[in-house]
Amino acid sequence: MSVVNEVVPFAAAARAVGLTKIYGEGDASVRALDDVSVEFERARFTAIMGPSGSGKSTLLHCMAGLDAPTGGNIFIGEVDLTTLSEKNLTLLRREKVGFVFQAFNLVPTLSAAENITLPLDIAGDDPDQAWFDLVVDTIGLRDRLSHRPSELSGGQQQRVASARALVSRPEIVFADEPTGNLDSRSGHELLRFLRSAVKDHDQTIVMVTHDAVAASFADRIVFLGDGRIVDEMFEPTTERVLDRLKSLEA
Amino acid sequence: MFRAAIRSLFARKVRLLLTALSIVLGVGFVAGTYVLTDTMTKAFDDIIVTSSTGLDVLVRAENAFDTEFQGGTEERAAMAQTVLETVADVDGVAEAYGDVIGYGQMVDPATGDPIGTMGPPTFGGSFSEIGSLTIRTGQPPVGPDQVAIDAGTAERYSIDVGDRIQVLFEGPPGEFEVVGLAAFGESDSLLGATIALFDLPTAQTVLGRTGQLDSVSVVAEEGVSPTELQRRIAEVLPDGVEAITAAAYVSEQQDQVQEGLGFFRTALLVFAFVALFVGSFIIFNTFAIIVAQRTRELGLLRALGASRRQVMVSVVVEAIVVGLVASAIGVLVGIGIAIGLQALLRGIGLELPGSATVIQVRTVVVSIVVGTLITVIASVVPARRAARVAPIQALTESQDHLGRSLRFRVISGLVVLALGVGPVLYGLFGQPEDALQLVGIGVLLTFIGVAMLTPLIARPVAGTLGAPIRRAGVPGKLGRENAMRNPRRTAATASALMIGLGLVVFVAVFGESAKASTDAVLERTLKADFILTSPSFTGFSTSAAGGLRGVPGVLAVSEIRQAAFRVEGETAFATSVDPAFEATADPGVVSGSFDSLQRPGKIAVHDDLASDRGWAVGDTIDVAFAATGEQRRQIVAIYSEKGILDDYGISLADYSENFSNQLDVIVLVKASEGADVGEVRRGLEGALETFPNIQLQDQAEFRAKYAQFLNQVLNLLTALLLMAVIIAVFGIVNTLSLSIYERTRELGLLRAVGMTRRQTRSMVRWEAVIIAVMGALFGVVIGIAFGWALQQALEPDGFTELGIPAGQLVFYVVLAGLAGVLAAILPARRAARLNVLEAISYE
Repeated sequence: MSVVNEVVPFAAAARAVGLTKIYGEGDASVRALDDVSVEFERARFTAIMGPSGSGKSTLLHCMAGLDAPTGGNIFIGEVDLTTLSEKNLTLLRREKVGFVFQAFNLVPTLSAAENITLPLDIAGDDPDQAWFDLVVDTIGLRDRLSHRPSELSGGQQQRVASARALVSRPEIVFADEPTGNLDSRSGHELLRFLRSAVKDHDQTIVMVTHDAVAASFADRIVFLGDGRIVDEMFEPTTERVLDRLKSLEA
Repeated sequence: MFRAAIRSLFARKVRLLLTALSIVLGVGFVAGTYVLTDTMTKAFDDIIVTSSTGLDVLVRAENAFDTEFQGGTEERAAMAQTVLETVADVDGVAEAYGDVIGYGQMVDPATGDPIGTMGPPTFGGSFSEIGSLTIRTGQPPVGPDQVAIDAGTAERYSIDVGDRIQVLFEGPPGEFEVVGLAAFGESDSLLGATIALFDLPTAQTVLGRTGQLDSVSVVAEEGVSPTELQRRIAEVLPDGVEAITAAAYVSEQQDQVQEGLGFFRTALLVFAFVALFVGSFIIFNTFAIIVAQRTRELGLLRALGASRRQVMVSVVVEAIVVGLVASAIGVLVGIGIAIGLQALLRGIGLELPGSATVIQVRTVVVSIVVGTLITVIASVVPARRAARVAPIQALTESQDHLGRSLRFRVISGLVVLALGVGPVLYGLFGQPEDALQLVGIGVLLTFIGVAMLTPLIARPVAGTLGAPIRRAGVPGKLGRENAMRNPRRTAATASALMIGLGLVVFVAVFGESAKASTDAVLERTLKADFILTSPSFTGFSTSAAGGLRGVPGVLAVSEIRQAAFRVEGETAFATSVDPAFEATADPGVVSGSFDSLQRPGKIAVHDDLASDRGWAVGDTIDVAFAATGEQRRQIVAIYSEKGILDDYGISLADYSENFSNQLDVIVLVKASEGADVGEVRRGLEGALETFPNIQLQDQAEFRAKYAQFLNQVLNLLTALLLMAVIIAVFGIVNTLSLSIYERTRELGLLRAVGMTRRQTRSMVRWEAVIIAVMGALFGVVIGIAFGWALQQALEPDGFTELGIPAGQLVFYVVLAGLAGVLAAILPARRAARLNVLEAISYE
């Protein structure tokens, strides 16, 4: 499973090298990702932004091993995803990657607690109780652990999903518009939680968003346009992000 | 979105296909039944027509009513041979020839085993040049040492002209040289019946008709009509002899065939209907799920101004289309099944000669109408549910809540259940005229009522069944949760299996009770040390018993013969009782005595019947025999045991006088006190050497054989119910496929967070197993209940024991679980193969 690192990254949790994704064939083909190389550092909160169709979701899906790239390599830690079989890819997702989707993050038949420990249960591992408690207390839903998803608000559901993504201490967590369906208060709560997971507990999170406010919670923003990385920003604020977006769209 | 639409269409096709399958199989069963029975009717009709070709008038003894002896020959007296001369002298008769026919069973020269031990009859008869049988190879039989046999039997057992063959009769067996092979028109065989042909004097001797004829066939002179000739002949015939035209004879025989096959057809149709009934649950469930899944779409239609009626009609129209297409395919499948069965019958020697497969318009029409109607009826409730969708539901997530109509469901379920159980109990215990129909409808409604109530307990039951599985990790746990999440759907799916398996269990319980009860009766009533029977109780030569009486150590030999007669206008069985009877069996005499039965004009009656009719010893009752007509008998004994005797006992002498067919069904042998049983057995076996069709058994062996005989009947019934069970298993496939389609996003999520394909398959499998086992358990409960009810109802008729074949029931439940695993294969594969990304973004 291990792959020799050409460039020894000091702390890259994941990286893409020359990543290309083409949908369709011939004249109808669309180049969603065009030779993208990017690294996501450990213990950092990275946001990916860009206009619709810029390839930001495709990048996230490919990085997470949910979509197969047309060309290039993807590394989670030291493992090259593009060399893995379907089964090993599944095992890697289970052990090294966490997910938060925009909606429908939880299995409706399981309680909040069961949803949180789902990846561990699937793997047959016991949760690290201290870490579990820490995560649960951070999302502030200890009294709701026995509830089913249908009994939780949208914000609560996303927090449970985030806890699920973090509970196995993955190499990296991918979040695809996690606040997209939330009101701004719930959204902020969730973002604060994600940031504290990075800041206080050294987790690594990559989040796709089109919301400048959400992106401002990140340490770094990667801007995509037409399938390429067009810009980058560190320590963003909402105003700077908005300005940059305007200039990119111009 | 386009991709999603394509996939939705594909999923729809699959689910329509699966839905249709349940109807296809049910309709196939119906159509197959019609085609097979029509084809058989045609084959018999052809034989009857062929057999009377060239014949104008038939002369025979009159009978009081039509009844067939179990060997296949009619119960009719013989007439004096002088009738032939009388008839031949009638003006207008061109030719007249006499025939005899009776029991004549050949013995396979190669193995020494009797030929044709079960099923089609084995005939012995006289050969005449003018008859419908022609010699294909060799010569016609002449003299006491020659026989011609049917070409079909000759071919199957590799018997050639010049071989010697043993033939068994009512009297002593004989050995003959095969001189000819006979064919029947174009065909080699008579639907599997075997026939051994002799010249008339020989046939008369071996069949016990010395100086007698069973029939005289008459050919008219040119210009004389059969009707005219029949009138002329009738004028000169002695009392008790009648003449009928060939046309009347043909239609009489055809009517008898129709009646016999009609019973067979009805029985098969009942099983076909059970299959369709189970299929209707699948249809109902499918449409219910489709409607639930389309709630938003239906809500949108309503929001755009579609009326409730339009929404409902759209669902019903879909049902009509599915029903029509599936039924049409079902008809084709049915024809295929019928053709396959014919091939199967041919394989075991029951060839339907010459006739092509008969497909009547009625078959097609009835099959399609029934199939479509059932589909539409099953879709009405889901369609009404669709019509209730409010426009606002276009905007909200659809949820299938049980709670909404809980009260209504409980009340209506209980009402339907009561409407079912009531008629069942009344039909069983109230002894009304049309008990069978009442019970049938009652059972149907009971099933529906139970099915309506099962959603109430489906959740806890699934939870309990799944509890041990939870330890098998996340797949087991999720499988259990999935089985519990929609109790209505789980219950409807399980209900289909409940019905199929419920009937199978009912047959098993009833069968076990029958076996236990008959065994108990036999144990009580049999005193004999040895019992002689033929395979499948078809009867054997009456001269066998005579040879046993001289065997050292034999105390008593009793011959049992049995045939139908009429008492006070109703058909019943008369059993012969000879003077040795009470030494070999205990009839449990309640009043009177069997000794007086040996005097002429006496009869013994079973206790239940006697008390029902208010008869007592000394009363006189009207009886009628087919061959000898109406007579009176005085009751001299009332008995309580039905083991060997049935409803009535008459003396063996009385029996011999009044029945034309004389075969022993059972011979009971009692050894003397202190005799060496092994020695006696060897002696008996020596005396029976020339009767290869007789099985000599001690009590234990005989009781085991009887149980085995019942097992064969039970296995047949179970096999016929198998179609319903198979359809129910398809129902599980269907529900799972629909559920998986509905849970696409959830499956995508599970796969995304690391569930392997193997685990995904395992999850689906566990859900299927839980549903299947639940259905099986419901079926076991309801089957035991029905079996118990029937046993209670039949207790007065000797069903004193309730037998529950526990091992068999456990086996059925385990089998159901395995069927669940099978049913899960395809849905599980689909679930495991979902593209994770597409599944997650699936709307």
